[in-house]
Amino acid sequence: MTVIHEKLVDTNAKMRARDVSVYYGDKKAIDEVSIDISPDYVTAFIGPSGCGKSTFLRCFNRMNDTIPVARVTGTIELEDEDIHGNAMDVVQLRARVGMVFQKPNPFPKSIYENIAYGPKIHGLAEKKPDIDEVVEKSLTRAGLWDEVKDRLDESGTALSGGQQQRLCIARAIAVDPEVILMDEPCSALDPIATAKIEELIDELSGRYAIVIVTHSMQQAARVSQRTAFFHLGKMVEYGPTSDIFTNPIEKRTQDYITGRYG
Amino acid sequence: MSPITLILIAIGLGLAGWLAGRAKAWSFQKADANVRLVARPTYHAWYVAVWVVLPVLAFIALWSFLAPQLVMQTVLASPGAEGLPSFGFQRDSILSEARAVATGSAQGVFNSDAEALIEPFREAISHYNLIGLVVTVMIAFAGGAYAFLRVKPDFRARTRVERTVMIVLLLASLVAILTTFGIFASLVFETVRFFGMVSPVDFLFGSFWGPDPMSNPEAADGTRYGAIPLFWGTIFIGAIIAMIVAIPLGLMSAIYLTQYANPKLRAWVKPALEILAGVPTVVYGYFAALTVAPAIRDMAVAVGISGASTESALAAGVVMGVMIIPFVSSMADDSIAAVPSAMRDGSLAMGATQSETIRRVLFPAALPGIVAGVMLAVSRAIGETMIVVMAASTAANLTVNPLERMTTVTVQIVKMLTGEGSFDHPATLSAFALGFVLFMVTLALNFIALRVVKRFREAYD
Repeated sequence: MTVIHEKLVDTNAKMRARDVSVYYGDKKAIDEVSIDISPDYVTAFIGPSGCGKSTFLRCFNRMNDTIPVARVTGTIELEDEDIHGNAMDVVQLRARVGMVFQKPNPFPKSIYENIAYGPKIHGLAEKKPDIDEVVEKSLTRAGLWDEVKDRLDESGTALSGGQQQRLCIARAIAVDPEVILMDEPCSALDPIATAKIEELIDELSGRYAIVIVTHSMQQAARVSQRTAFFHLGKMVEYGPTSDIFTNPIEKRTQDYITGRYG
Repeated sequence: MSPITLILIAIGLGLAGWLAGRAKAWSFQKADANVRLVARPTYHAWYVAVWVVLPVLAFIALWSFLAPQLVMQTVLASPGAEGLPSFGFQRDSILSEARAVATGSAQGVFNSDAEALIEPFREAISHYNLIGLVVTVMIAFAGGAYAFLRVKPDFRARTRVERTVMIVLLLASLVAILTTFGIFASLVFETVRFFGMVSPVDFLFGSFWGPDPMSNPEAADGTRYGAIPLFWGTIFIGAIIAMIVAIPLGLMSAIYLTQYANPKLRAWVKPALEILAGVPTVVYGYFAALTVAPAIRDMAVAVGISGASTESALAAGVVMGVMIIPFVSSMADDSIAAVPSAMRDGSLAMGATQSETIRRVLFPAALPGIVAGVMLAVSRAIGETMIVVMAASTAANLTVNPLERMTTVTVQIVKMLTGEGSFDHPATLSAFALGFVLFMVTLALNFIALRVVKRFREAYD
């Protein structure tokens, strides 16, 4: 049984998941999870390895579709529209719900082309000056513009790990999404790069609804305002981050927070 | 005593050395439990075995070359050899008859002169056999004893054995390289002879090919050795028509198999496609000559092109292209599959469609591998003979009309070498010059392919 803190009930939601289960073949990886994602805050999914938090995150932009054996049941809505419904194409959905991956994955193209990729395929910017503007704006928002403005035609893969990840965030921002999903975005980065990404998440929150999966409780405490704790494919507890960390209701949450397991 | 017997003896002695070396290494440990061997006993064993076998093998290689000559000298020095003719064919046949009887591979002799030589042969052979055996055993024992004495607890047998292994591996890889040089050297030698008779300018830039093997070899007519029609035919059939067929079909099938096909279908189609690569080219030749070429002719006639031949460059090129599909598709398949799935996910998560992802992310990232596959396919195609012989004829013809007869470099090589001409005739030697050019071109293609792959390899790491 999921415990949802009272403060979170009846607030407006950007995305709404109801009774979502994910199966890998016969194995149930996510068991009937329901959650509302706030448009104004950063929501963190925490939990021990293998609890299904990343799998659940990938439901929100239907990335589980790319795994042949994965099957998703239940409903997920983006602004009251069913993301599996006929009115929503997966391509549109992913333009509105961007994603940043665990390992930085810039395309083997120039920095400029990495950012221009999304706007071009979605027809958001056709002419060179328009694209230039999107590139500058996205890189600036991702806090990377000053570092790369003189070498936009160098390969994105030549940047450092932290810069690559900020490039990936800039790439996601470039199509002006409403939600950004981040799947352990700092797990491949050193502490300094991690700090920069966290700072960036802080700046981006409010403008975009952000959902971040993290295995670091400190990170969840630092960057998020809402935290959901997952365990064995179930969402155990969902509440304001400060309450989850200082005053959890469920014993399993408390055990995890205090380092009893995980 | 044949080299085989000597090798078996060497291996037997090597086994004895192996056991002795191991026993000695064990005995150190047994005598004193505190002794720590630097290398494990097996390595000591191998060390001794290597020292027994390798020198012996070297000796056997030398001896199997030397012994017959020593035997021959002894026989020639014997009294029975005085009546032999001083040189020539008869002398050789007498000697070989006598030797055959002496070794037991023949029952009797035709030539009575050989009779007297049988006994000297027999004696000399058994004499040198004994020497060979004794020396083999002596070398084996000397090597074994040297190595055996060095077996001590602090002896680094492992590093020695591993160095030996490395040297053996090195020699193995040298065989391929040296063979390439050998092929190259023999080609160069014959090519230089050819260019002594026909000027390279005539050969490389002349536009009429029609060597006459019956003409006077002393006064070669350079104007009949213009290889341009052959180079053109080769490029037109192998690199243009075949690639127009193979590249799109190969790439599309690779993209379908890696990106769209479900695993069950893929498990079915991929091996089927690879079987295509195992069909002997001569079978493709039948197909080209009996099915495709007449079909193309009929089609050409149907659309009003008169004078279409049953042998056409188009038929050969198309069938060759089909033959090459598996090469292109399997290299492209591998390199598309090697693009990290993070690239694909990244693009899909941006809202790109599957075809946009393939076209704009996967394909560029896989390009080096695809280019390398195409290069290999081209060098395979221009070296292909059978399909062209059967479907595009052996007549040189400089034209851009794919419905006409045409021939390629490889086909002419076969034609020139299997003809009646002698090996001193420029018509025959021209085969080597053609082979030389072909070799250089495929070498260059492979070289470029490797450079391309290397240059772009780090694109996504």
